[in-house]
Amino acid sequence: MLIFALKVLQMINSVRNTVLSVLNKNNYGYISPSDFNLFAKQAQLDIFEDYFYQYNYQINKENARQSGTGYADITKGYSEVIDSFSVTEDLTYIATNTFSVPTEATTGSDYYLINKVLFNNGTSLKEMEQVSHSKITMLLNSLYTAPSLTFPAFTIEDSTLTAYPDTINSATEVKCQYIRYPKDPKWTYLSLTGGEPAFDSTASDYQDFELPLDNEPDLIMKILQYAGMSIREIAAVNFAQATENKDDADQK
Amino acid sequence: MAYITQYKYYENEGISPKDENWGSYQYVSLADVVNNFMLMYAGNHSLVNNEERFKVLFHAKRGIQELNYDAFKEIKILQLNVDDNLRFVLPSDYVNWVRVSVYENGVLRPLTENIQTNWSSAYLQDNNNDILFDLKGNALEPENSNLDLDRIRGSKRSIYLNQNSSFNGLEGYCCDGNWYFDYSIGARFGLNTETANINPTFVINKQAGVINFSSGMSNRSCVLEYVSDGMEGGEATKINLNKMFEDYIYAYIEYAILNSKLGVQEYVVGRARKRKQALLRNAKIRLSNIHPGRLLMNMRGQNKWIK
Repeated sequence: MLIFALKVLQMINSVRNTVLSVLNKNNYGYISPSDFNLFAKQAQLDIFEDYFYQYNYQINKENARQSGTGYADITKGYSEVIDSFSVTEDLTYIATNTFSVPTEATTGSDYYLINKVLFNNGTSLKEMEQVSHSKITMLLNSLYTAPSLTFPAFTIEDSTLTAYPDTINSATEVKCQYIRYPKDPKWTYLSLTGGEPAFDSTASDYQDFELPLDNEPDLIMKILQYAGMSIREIAAVNFAQATENKDDADQK
Repeated sequence: MAYITQYKYYENEGISPKDENWGSYQYVSLADVVNNFMLMYAGNHSLVNNEERFKVLFHAKRGIQELNYDAFKEIKILQLNVDDNLRFVLPSDYVNWVRVSVYENGVLRPLTENIQTNWSSAYLQDNNNDILFDLKGNALEPENSNLDLDRIRGSKRSIYLNQNSSFNGLEGYCCDGNWYFDYSIGARFGLNTETANINPTFVINKQAGVINFSSGMSNRSCVLEYVSDGMEGGEATKINLNKMFEDYIYAYIEYAILNSKLGVQEYVVGRARKRKQALLRNAKIRLSNIHPGRLLMNMRGQNKWIK
Protein backbone atom coordinates (compact mmCIF):
# COMPACT_ATOMS: atom_id res chain seq x y z
CA MET A 1 0.00 0.00 0.00
CA LEU A 2 1.45 3.36 -1.03
CA ILE A 3 -0.01 6.66 -0.25
CA PHE A 4 1.40 9.66 -2.01
CA ALA A 5 -1.54 10.45 -4.28
CA LEU A 6 -4.19 12.99 -3.46
CA LYS A 7 -7.73 12.09 -2.69
CA VAL A 8 -10.10 12.17 -5.61
CA LEU A 9 -13.75 12.92 -5.65
CA GLN A 10 -16.18 10.03 -5.79
CA MET A 11 -13.61 7.29 -5.29
CA ILE A 12 -16.35 5.30 -3.65
CA ASN A 13 -18.25 4.92 -6.95
CA SER A 14 -15.15 3.73 -8.73
CA VAL A 15 -14.43 1.21 -5.98
CA ARG A 16 -18.00 -0.07 -6.06
CA ASN A 17 -18.01 -0.45 -9.82
CA THR A 18 -14.77 -2.43 -9.73
CA VAL A 19 -15.97 -4.68 -6.93
CA LEU A 20 -19.20 -5.41 -8.74
CA SER A 21 -17.35 -6.04 -11.96
CA VAL A 22 -15.06 -8.61 -10.31
CA LEU A 23 -17.87 -10.30 -8.45
CA ASN A 24 -20.45 -10.26 -11.17
CA LYS A 25 -19.87 -13.77 -12.44
CA ASN A 26 -22.98 -15.24 -14.04
CA ASN A 27 -24.93 -12.27 -12.69
CA TYR A 28 -25.07 -13.64 -9.17
CA GLY A 29 -22.33 -11.48 -7.72
CA TYR A 30 -24.44 -8.47 -6.99
CA ILE A 31 -24.15 -6.80 -3.57
CA SER A 32 -26.70 -4.30 -2.36
CA PRO A 33 -25.74 -0.67 -1.58
CA SER A 34 -26.29 -1.23 2.16
CA ASP A 35 -24.02 -4.30 2.16
CA PHE A 36 -21.43 -2.41 0.16
CA ASN A 37 -21.50 0.45 2.66
CA LEU A 38 -20.95 -1.96 5.55
CA PHE A 39 -18.02 -3.63 3.80
CA ALA A 40 -16.60 -0.27 2.75
CA LYS A 41 -16.59 0.96 6.33
CA GLN A 42 -14.76 -2.15 7.53
CA ALA A 43 -12.25 -1.96 4.71
CA GLN A 44 -11.51 1.69 5.33
CA LEU A 45 -11.03 1.13 9.07
CA ASP A 46 -8.69 -1.79 8.36
CA ILE A 47 -6.53 0.27 6.06
CA PHE A 48 -6.67 3.33 8.32
CA GLU A 49 -5.41 1.37 11.31
CA ASP A 50 -2.77 -0.27 9.19
CA TYR A 51 -1.24 3.16 8.51
CA PHE A 52 -0.04 3.37 12.10
CA TYR A 53 1.57 -0.06 11.98
CA GLN A 54 3.13 0.74 8.63
CA TYR A 55 4.40 4.06 9.99
CA ASN A 56 6.02 2.28 12.90
CA TYR A 57 7.48 -0.34 10.56
CA GLN A 58 9.04 2.38 8.44
CA ILE A 59 10.48 4.12 11.50
CA ASN A 60 12.16 0.87 12.46
CA LYS A 61 13.51 0.56 8.92
CA GLU A 62 14.88 4.08 9.18
CA ASN A 63 16.57 3.21 12.45
CA ALA A 64 18.09 0.19 10.72
CA ARG A 65 19.30 2.55 7.97
CA GLN A 66 17.14 0.76 5.39
CA SER A 67 15.20 3.77 4.28
CA GLY A 68 16.03 6.82 2.22
CA THR A 69 15.16 10.47 1.95
CA GLY A 70 13.45 12.52 -0.75
CA TYR A 71 11.26 10.31 -2.93
CA ALA A 72 12.37 7.31 -0.90
CA ASP A 73 10.97 8.82 2.28
CA ILE A 74 8.08 6.44 2.80
CA THR A 75 7.48 7.57 6.36
CA LYS A 76 6.69 11.07 5.20
CA GLY A 77 3.88 9.75 3.02
CA TYR A 78 2.37 7.80 5.88
CA SER A 79 2.54 10.73 8.25
CA GLU A 80 0.91 12.97 5.63
CA VAL A 81 -2.08 10.65 5.40
CA ILE A 82 -2.34 10.34 9.17
CA ASP A 83 -2.08 14.12 9.47
CA SER A 84 -5.04 14.48 7.13
CA PHE A 85 -7.14 13.05 9.97
CA SER A 86 -5.66 15.45 12.53
CA VAL A 87 -8.00 17.74 14.46
CA THR A 88 -7.14 20.42 17.03
CA GLU A 89 -10.00 21.57 19.22
CA ASP A 90 -10.66 23.04 22.66
CA LEU A 91 -11.84 20.36 25.07
CA THR A 92 -15.20 20.85 26.74
CA TYR A 93 -14.88 21.77 30.41
CA ILE A 94 -16.88 19.49 32.71
CA ALA A 95 -16.06 20.43 36.30
CA THR A 96 -13.06 20.98 38.56
CA ASN A 97 -9.99 20.23 36.41
CA THR A 98 -11.88 17.70 34.30
CA PHE A 99 -12.60 17.94 30.59
CA SER A 100 -14.37 15.79 28.06
CA VAL A 101 -12.17 13.79 25.70
CA PRO A 102 -12.86 14.44 22.00
CA THR A 103 -16.22 12.99 21.03
CA GLU A 104 -18.73 13.35 18.24
CA ALA A 105 -20.84 15.50 20.56
CA THR A 106 -18.11 17.81 21.88
CA THR A 107 -15.46 18.24 19.20
CA GLY A 108 -17.32 16.85 16.22
CA SER A 109 -15.46 13.55 15.94
CA ASP A 110 -14.36 10.59 18.04
CA TYR A 111 -10.66 10.17 18.57
CA TYR A 112 -8.59 7.23 17.42
CA LEU A 113 -5.45 8.54 19.08
CA ILE A 114 -4.78 11.58 21.24
CA ASN A 115 -1.47 12.92 20.02
CA LYS A 116 -1.06 15.81 22.41
CA VAL A 117 -2.98 17.87 24.91
CA LEU A 118 -2.04 21.51 25.32
CA PHE A 119 -2.48 23.82 28.26
CA ASN A 120 -3.00 27.46 27.37
CA ASN A 121 -1.74 29.61 30.24
CA GLY A 122 -2.73 32.82 28.51
CA THR A 123 0.69 33.63 27.11
CA SER A 124 1.94 30.33 25.73
CA LEU A 125 0.97 26.73 25.12
CA LYS A 126 2.44 24.05 27.34
CA GLU A 127 2.29 20.41 26.34
CA MET A 128 0.57 18.27 28.93
CA GLU A 129 1.97 14.83 29.51
CA GLN A 130 -0.29 11.80 29.58
CA VAL A 131 0.43 9.79 32.69
CA SER A 132 -0.80 6.28 33.39
CA HIS A 133 -3.05 5.58 36.34
CA SER A 134 -0.35 3.39 37.84
CA LYS A 135 1.96 6.39 38.07
CA ILE A 136 -0.21 9.45 38.69
CA THR A 137 -0.58 9.05 42.47
CA MET A 138 3.15 8.71 42.98
CA LEU A 139 3.75 11.56 40.58
CA LEU A 140 1.41 13.85 42.52
CA ASN A 141 3.29 13.01 45.70
CA SER A 142 6.70 13.55 44.13
CA LEU A 143 8.66 16.58 45.26
CA TYR A 144 10.62 16.79 42.03
CA THR A 145 8.14 15.78 39.38
CA ALA A 146 4.67 16.72 40.63
CA PRO A 147 2.72 18.30 37.75
CA SER A 148 2.95 22.08 37.70
CA LEU A 149 1.73 24.82 35.38
CA THR A 150 5.14 24.62 33.69
CA PHE A 151 5.00 20.83 33.38
CA PRO A 152 1.29 19.92 33.43
CA ALA A 153 -0.04 16.38 33.12
CA PHE A 154 -3.31 14.56 32.54
CA THR A 155 -4.97 11.19 32.86
CA ILE A 156 -7.90 9.73 30.96
CA GLU A 157 -10.66 7.68 32.46
CA ASP A 158 -13.64 6.66 30.38
CA SER A 159 -14.50 9.83 28.48
CA THR A 160 -13.08 12.23 31.06
CA LEU A 161 -9.70 13.87 30.93
CA THR A 162 -8.36 15.02 34.31
CA ALA A 163 -5.81 17.82 34.22
CA TYR A 164 -3.03 18.33 36.76
CA PRO A 165 -2.34 20.52 38.65
CA ASP A 166 -5.97 21.00 39.60
CA THR A 167 -5.69 24.74 39.10
CA ILE A 168 -6.27 24.09 35.40
CA ASN A 169 -9.89 24.93 35.62
CA SER A 170 -11.08 27.05 32.77
CA ALA A 171 -13.05 26.19 29.65
CA THR A 172 -10.49 27.55 27.21
CA GLU A 173 -7.37 26.33 28.96
CA VAL A 174 -7.10 22.86 27.47
CA LYS A 175 -7.02 21.95 23.81
CA CYS A 176 -6.27 18.69 22.13
CA GLN A 177 -4.69 17.59 18.88
CA TYR A 178 -5.90 14.15 17.97
CA ILE A 179 -6.35 11.75 15.08
CA ARG A 180 -10.01 11.19 14.41
CA TYR A 181 -11.60 8.12 12.90
CA PRO A 182 -12.37 8.36 9.19
CA LYS A 183 -16.00 9.10 8.47
CA ASP A 184 -18.14 6.12 7.49
CA PRO A 185 -18.25 5.91 3.69
CA LYS A 186 -21.69 5.90 2.16
CA TRP A 187 -22.49 5.16 -1.48
CA THR A 188 -25.78 6.95 -2.06
CA TYR A 189 -28.19 6.51 -4.92
CA LEU A 190 -31.11 8.39 -6.31
CA SER A 191 -33.39 5.84 -7.86
CA LEU A 192 -33.38 2.61 -9.73
CA THR A 193 -32.58 2.90 -13.40
CA GLY A 194 -33.09 -0.27 -15.39
CA GLY A 195 -33.05 -2.24 -12.16
CA GLU A 196 -29.80 -0.67 -11.06
CA PRO A 197 -29.47 2.08 -8.41
CA ALA A 198 -28.06 5.26 -9.94
CA PHE A 199 -25.18 6.82 -8.03
CA ASP A 200 -25.99 10.22 -6.48
CA SER A 201 -23.11 12.16 -4.95
CA THR A 202 -25.33 15.12 -4.10
CA ALA A 203 -27.26 13.34 -1.39
CA SER A 204 -26.91 14.96 2.04
CA ASP A 205 -25.64 11.74 3.62
CA TYR A 206 -23.17 10.97 0.84
CA GLN A 207 -19.69 10.26 2.11
CA ASP A 208 -16.69 9.34 0.01
CA PHE A 209 -13.71 7.37 1.26
CA GLU A 210 -11.26 9.62 3.10
CA LEU A 211 -8.19 7.63 2.16
CA PRO A 212 -5.96 8.65 -0.76
CA LEU A 213 -6.39 7.42 -4.32
CA ASP A 214 -3.62 4.84 -4.16
CA ASN A 215 -5.61 3.03 -1.48
CA GLU A 216 -8.27 2.24 -4.07
CA PRO A 217 -6.83 -1.20 -4.95
CA ASP A 218 -6.54 -2.03 -1.24
CA LEU A 219 -10.12 -0.97 -0.63
CA ILE A 220 -11.31 -3.07 -3.57
CA MET A 221 -9.41 -6.13 -2.36
CA LYS A 222 -10.68 -5.81 1.18
CA ILE A 223 -14.29 -5.24 0.11
CA LEU A 224 -13.97 -8.17 -2.29
CA GLN A 225 -12.97 -10.40 0.58
CA TYR A 226 -16.00 -9.38 2.63
CA ALA A 227 -18.33 -9.56 -0.36
CA GLY A 228 -16.85 -12.88 -1.50
CA MET A 229 -17.53 -14.36 1.91
CA SER A 230 -21.01 -12.86 1.85
CA ILE A 231 -21.95 -14.69 -1.33
CA ARG A 232 -19.77 -17.71 -0.45
CA GLU A 233 -17.58 -17.18 -3.49
CA ILE A 234 -14.30 -18.50 -2.14
CA ALA A 235 -12.45 -17.80 -5.36
CA ALA A 236 -13.09 -14.07 -4.92
CA VAL A 237 -11.84 -14.24 -1.34
CA ASN A 238 -8.69 -16.11 -2.33
CA PHE A 239 -8.00 -13.79 -5.23
CA ALA A 240 -8.36 -10.70 -3.06
CA GLN A 241 -6.23 -12.12 -0.26
CA ALA A 242 -3.48 -13.18 -2.61
CA THR A 243 -3.43 -9.79 -4.30
CA GLU A 244 -3.33 -7.97 -0.98
CA ASN A 245 -0.50 -10.17 0.33
CA LYS A 246 1.49 -9.58 -2.83
CA ASP A 247 1.03 -5.82 -2.53
CA ASP A 248 2.15 -5.88 1.09
CA ALA A 249 5.20 -7.97 0.24
CA ASP A 250 6.15 -5.65 -2.62
CA GLN A 251 6.16 -2.68 -0.30
CA LYS A 252 8.37 -4.15 2.39
CA MET B 1 12.02 31.16 26.23
CA ALA B 2 12.11 34.03 23.83
CA TYR B 3 14.85 36.61 23.76
CA ILE B 4 13.92 39.82 25.52
CA THR B 5 14.38 43.44 24.48
CA GLN B 6 16.97 45.61 26.16
CA TYR B 7 14.17 47.70 27.63
CA LYS B 8 12.76 44.61 29.28
CA TYR B 9 16.23 43.57 30.41
CA TYR B 10 17.19 46.86 32.03
CA GLU B 11 13.82 48.23 33.13
CA ASN B 12 11.55 45.16 33.09
CA GLU B 13 9.30 47.28 30.87
CA GLY B 14 8.51 49.55 33.78
CA ILE B 15 7.14 46.72 35.90
CA SER B 16 8.39 46.20 39.45
CA PRO B 17 10.82 44.67 40.32
CA LYS B 18 13.03 46.50 37.88
CA ASP B 19 15.95 44.11 38.36
CA GLU B 20 13.93 41.00 37.43
CA ASN B 21 15.96 40.25 34.31
CA TRP B 22 19.39 41.52 35.23
CA GLY B 23 21.98 38.87 34.47
CA SER B 24 19.33 36.49 33.17
CA TYR B 25 21.21 35.90 29.93
CA GLN B 26 23.76 33.80 31.78
CA TYR B 27 21.14 31.21 32.51
CA VAL B 28 18.93 28.73 30.73
CA SER B 29 15.67 27.79 32.41
CA LEU B 30 14.62 24.32 33.51
CA ALA B 31 11.63 24.49 31.18
CA ASP B 32 13.96 25.16 28.24
CA VAL B 33 16.26 22.33 29.23
CA VAL B 34 13.43 19.80 29.37
CA ASN B 35 11.84 21.11 26.20
CA ASN B 36 15.12 21.08 24.28
CA PHE B 37 15.98 17.61 25.49
CA MET B 38 12.62 16.18 24.47
CA LEU B 39 12.98 17.89 21.11
CA MET B 40 16.60 17.12 20.31
CA TYR B 41 17.66 14.07 22.27
CA ALA B 42 14.49 12.00 22.50
CA GLY B 43 12.48 10.49 19.69
CA ASN B 44 12.21 7.84 17.03
CA HIS B 45 15.76 8.20 15.78
CA SER B 46 17.49 8.97 19.07
CA LEU B 47 19.13 6.89 21.75
CA VAL B 48 16.43 7.97 24.17
CA ASN B 49 12.96 6.99 23.05
CA ASN B 50 9.61 6.25 24.65
CA GLU B 51 10.55 7.92 27.91
CA GLU B 52 8.09 9.98 29.91
CA ARG B 53 8.79 13.67 30.26
CA PHE B 54 8.61 13.46 34.03
CA LYS B 55 11.67 11.21 33.98
CA VAL B 56 13.55 13.80 31.98
CA LEU B 57 12.37 16.46 34.43
CA PHE B 58 13.54 14.37 37.36
CA HIS B 59 17.02 13.84 35.95
CA ALA B 60 17.26 17.50 34.92
CA LYS B 61 16.50 18.60 38.46
CA ARG B 62 18.89 16.08 39.95
CA GLY B 63 21.62 17.26 37.59
CA ILE B 64 21.01 20.89 38.53
CA GLN B 65 21.11 19.98 42.21
CA GLU B 66 24.46 18.25 41.86
CA LEU B 67 25.87 21.21 39.95
CA ASN B 68 24.69 23.59 42.66
CA TYR B 69 26.62 21.72 45.33
CA ASP B 70 30.02 22.55 43.90
CA ALA B 71 30.42 23.22 40.19
CA PHE B 72 28.28 26.36 39.94
CA LYS B 73 30.14 28.22 42.68
CA GLU B 74 26.93 30.08 43.34
CA ILE B 75 27.16 30.94 47.01
CA LYS B 76 24.15 32.30 48.83
CA ILE B 77 24.75 34.66 51.73
CA LEU B 78 22.46 35.39 54.67
CA GLN B 79 23.08 37.87 57.47
CA LEU B 80 21.14 37.49 60.74
CA ASN B 81 21.64 38.39 64.37
CA VAL B 82 22.29 35.48 66.71
CA ASP B 83 19.61 35.10 69.36
CA ASP B 84 20.03 34.82 73.13
CA ASN B 85 20.22 31.05 72.90
CA LEU B 86 23.31 31.48 70.71
CA ARG B 87 21.51 29.90 67.76
CA PHE B 88 21.40 30.83 64.13
CA VAL B 89 18.56 29.03 62.36
CA LEU B 90 19.74 27.61 59.03
CA PRO B 91 18.15 29.17 55.92
CA SER B 92 15.12 27.41 54.42
CA ASP B 93 17.10 26.40 51.32
CA TYR B 94 20.29 25.46 53.18
CA VAL B 95 22.15 22.35 52.02
CA ASN B 96 25.75 22.91 53.15
CA TRP B 97 27.83 25.72 54.57
CA VAL B 98 30.84 27.41 53.06
CA ARG B 99 31.86 29.97 55.69
CA VAL B 100 30.46 31.46 58.86
CA SER B 101 31.59 34.93 59.86
CA VAL B 102 30.82 37.56 62.43
CA TYR B 103 30.30 41.04 61.06
CA GLU B 104 31.36 43.84 63.35
CA ASN B 105 32.50 47.40 62.87
CA GLY B 106 32.57 46.96 59.12
CA VAL B 107 34.86 43.93 59.34
CA LEU B 108 33.94 40.39 58.40
CA ARG B 109 35.74 37.91 60.68
CA PRO B 110 35.55 34.26 59.56
CA LEU B 111 34.76 31.95 62.46
CA THR B 112 36.25 28.59 63.19
CA GLU B 113 34.19 25.44 63.36
CA ASN B 114 34.62 23.66 66.63
CA ILE B 115 34.74 19.94 65.98
CA GLN B 116 34.16 19.32 69.67
CA THR B 117 30.44 19.40 70.25
CA ASN B 118 28.94 22.27 72.15
CA TRP B 119 25.37 21.00 72.19
CA SER B 120 23.56 17.86 73.16
CA SER B 121 20.09 16.49 73.68
CA ALA B 122 19.28 15.08 77.13
CA TYR B 123 16.69 13.07 79.08
CA LEU B 124 15.42 13.91 82.52
CA GLN B 125 16.80 11.59 85.18
CA ASP B 126 16.03 11.02 88.83
CA ASN B 127 18.50 10.82 91.71
CA ASN B 128 19.41 7.26 90.74
CA ASN B 129 20.10 8.39 87.17
CA ASP B 130 17.08 6.47 85.93
CA ILE B 131 15.42 8.05 82.90
CA LEU B 132 11.96 9.53 83.46
CA PHE B 133 9.12 8.69 81.07
CA ASP B 134 5.71 10.12 80.29
CA LEU B 135 2.47 8.10 80.17
CA LYS B 136 3.06 7.15 76.54
CA GLY B 137 6.46 5.69 77.36
CA ASN B 138 8.50 8.48 75.85
CA ALA B 139 11.53 9.78 77.70
CA LEU B 140 11.09 13.27 79.14
CA GLU B 141 13.46 15.85 77.76
CA PRO B 142 14.63 19.11 79.34
CA GLU B 143 14.59 22.29 77.32
CA ASN B 144 18.41 22.39 77.33
CA SER B 145 21.08 19.89 78.22
CA ASN B 146 23.75 20.86 80.75
CA LEU B 147 26.15 21.27 77.85
CA ASP B 148 23.78 23.72 76.20
CA LEU B 149 23.10 25.54 79.45
CA ASP B 150 26.80 26.03 80.13
CA ARG B 151 27.32 27.36 76.64
CA ILE B 152 24.35 29.72 76.76
CA ARG B 153 25.11 30.98 80.28
CA GLY B 154 28.79 31.33 79.53
CA SER B 155 29.65 28.96 82.33
CA LYS B 156 31.60 26.72 79.99
CA ARG B 157 35.29 27.42 80.24
CA SER B 158 37.32 28.35 77.22
CA ILE B 159 40.69 29.92 76.54
CA TYR B 160 41.02 33.67 76.47
CA LEU B 161 43.29 34.99 73.74
CA ASN B 162 44.48 38.57 73.88
CA GLN B 163 48.17 39.28 73.50
CA ASN B 164 47.80 42.66 75.14
CA SER B 165 46.30 41.20 78.29
CA SER B 166 47.96 39.51 81.21
CA PHE B 167 45.17 36.93 81.02
CA ASN B 168 46.24 35.85 77.53
CA GLY B 169 46.02 32.08 77.19
CA LEU B 170 44.23 31.49 80.47
CA GLU B 171 41.06 29.46 80.75
CA GLY B 172 38.09 31.54 81.75
CA TYR B 173 34.38 32.08 81.37
CA CYS B 174 32.91 34.36 78.78
CA CYS B 175 29.55 35.66 79.94
CA ASP B 176 27.69 38.31 77.95
CA GLY B 177 30.95 39.38 76.38
CA ASN B 178 32.80 39.74 79.70
CA TRP B 179 35.53 37.34 80.72
CA TYR B 180 35.92 35.91 84.19
CA PHE B 181 38.91 33.89 85.42
CA ASP B 182 39.62 31.54 88.26
CA TYR B 183 42.64 32.15 90.40
CA SER B 184 45.46 30.55 88.49
CA ILE B 185 46.88 28.00 90.81
CA GLY B 186 49.08 25.23 89.46
CA ALA B 187 49.98 24.51 85.86
CA ARG B 188 47.76 24.25 82.80
CA PHE B 189 48.64 21.72 80.21
CA GLY B 190 48.18 22.00 76.51
CA LEU B 191 46.14 24.30 74.37
CA ASN B 192 43.25 23.24 72.23
CA THR B 193 44.32 24.91 69.03
CA GLU B 194 41.02 24.20 67.31
CA THR B 195 39.18 26.52 69.63
CA ALA B 196 42.02 28.81 70.53
CA ASN B 197 40.62 31.83 68.77
CA ILE B 198 39.59 35.23 69.99
CA ASN B 199 36.38 34.93 67.99
CA PRO B 200 33.50 32.68 68.98
CA THR B 201 33.39 29.19 67.52
CA PHE B 202 30.43 27.28 66.19
CA VAL B 203 29.06 23.80 65.67
CA ILE B 204 26.29 23.02 63.21
CA ASN B 205 23.47 20.85 64.48
CA LYS B 206 22.09 19.58 61.17
CA GLN B 207 19.18 17.65 62.64
CA ALA B 208 17.99 20.65 64.65
CA GLY B 209 18.66 22.99 61.73
CA VAL B 210 20.70 25.49 63.74
CA ILE B 211 24.24 26.73 64.16
CA ASN B 212 25.20 26.69 67.84
CA PHE B 213 27.75 29.32 68.80
CA SER B 214 30.01 29.53 71.76
CA SER B 215 29.27 32.23 74.27
CA GLY B 216 30.03 35.76 73.26
CA MET B 217 28.06 35.54 70.02
CA SER B 218 24.73 36.60 71.45
CA ASN B 219 23.07 39.43 69.50
CA ARG B 220 26.05 39.73 67.20
CA SER B 221 25.65 39.80 63.46
CA CYS B 222 26.42 36.52 61.76
CA VAL B 223 26.99 36.13 58.04
CA LEU B 224 26.44 32.64 56.68
CA GLU B 225 27.74 31.72 53.24
CA TYR B 226 26.11 28.53 52.06
CA VAL B 227 25.10 26.48 49.06
CA SER B 228 21.59 25.46 48.13
CA ASP B 229 20.34 22.91 45.60
CA GLY B 230 18.93 25.44 43.11
CA MET B 231 15.37 24.18 43.42
CA GLU B 232 14.07 27.65 44.35
CA GLY B 233 11.43 26.35 46.72
CA GLY B 234 9.97 24.09 44.06
CA GLU B 235 9.06 27.00 41.77
CA ALA B 236 9.80 25.42 38.38
CA THR B 237 9.81 28.74 36.55
CA LYS B 238 12.68 30.03 38.68
CA ILE B 239 14.96 27.01 38.35
CA ASN B 240 17.80 27.57 35.92
CA LEU B 241 21.43 26.78 35.27
CA ASN B 242 24.42 28.55 33.85
CA LYS B 243 24.74 28.27 30.07
CA MET B 244 28.26 26.90 30.49
CA PHE B 245 26.59 23.73 31.78
CA GLU B 246 23.81 23.49 29.20
CA ASP B 247 25.46 20.82 27.09
CA TYR B 248 26.47 18.98 30.21
CA ILE B 249 22.94 18.81 31.54
CA TYR B 250 21.69 17.28 28.27
CA ALA B 251 24.51 14.73 28.43
CA TYR B 252 23.74 14.05 32.08
CA ILE B 253 20.04 13.42 31.41
CA GLU B 254 20.85 11.19 28.46
CA TYR B 255 23.33 9.20 30.50
CA ALA B 256 21.00 8.91 33.49
CA ILE B 257 18.21 7.53 31.30
CA LEU B 258 20.39 5.17 29.28
CA ASN B 259 22.09 3.93 32.42
CA SER B 260 18.80 2.85 33.97
CA LYS B 261 17.18 1.53 30.80
CA LEU B 262 16.89 -2.15 30.07
CA GLY B 263 18.70 -3.52 27.05
CA VAL B 264 21.00 -0.60 26.29
CA GLN B 265 24.41 -1.85 25.25
CA GLU B 266 27.20 -1.21 27.70
CA TYR B 267 29.27 0.64 25.12
CA VAL B 268 26.42 3.07 24.57
CA VAL B 269 26.15 3.70 28.30
CA GLY B 270 29.92 4.04 28.54
CA ARG B 271 30.01 6.54 25.69
CA ALA B 272 27.29 8.60 27.33
CA ARG B 273 29.14 8.53 30.65
CA LYS B 274 32.41 9.69 29.10
CA ARG B 275 30.69 12.47 27.22
CA LYS B 276 28.97 13.65 30.37
CA GLN B 277 32.21 13.65 32.37
CA ALA B 278 34.14 15.45 29.65
CA LEU B 279 31.50 18.15 29.36
CA LEU B 280 31.48 18.64 33.12
CA ARG B 281 35.24 19.13 33.16
CA ASN B 282 35.04 21.58 30.28
CA ALA B 283 32.29 23.56 31.95
CA LYS B 284 34.16 23.71 35.25
CA ILE B 285 37.29 24.99 33.52
CA ARG B 286 35.28 27.57 31.64
CA LEU B 287 33.50 28.76 34.74
CA SER B 288 36.75 29.01 36.70
CA ASN B 289 37.73 31.87 34.37
CA ILE B 290 41.39 31.01 34.19
CA HIS B 291 42.90 33.51 31.79
CA PRO B 292 46.28 35.25 31.39
CA GLY B 293 45.13 38.43 33.10
CA ARG B 294 44.16 36.58 36.25
CA LEU B 295 47.29 34.42 36.21
CA LEU B 296 49.38 37.55 35.88
CA MET B 297 47.85 38.96 39.04
CA ASN B 298 48.74 35.78 40.90
CA MET B 299 52.27 35.66 39.50
CA ARG B 300 52.95 39.19 40.70
CA GLY B 301 53.07 37.89 44.23
CA GLN B 302 55.67 35.19 43.49
CA ASN B 303 58.56 37.05 45.15
CA LYS B 304 56.63 37.86 48.25
CA TRP B 305 57.96 36.25 51.40
CA ILE B 306 55.52 34.00 53.12
CA LYS B 307 55.81 34.70 56.84
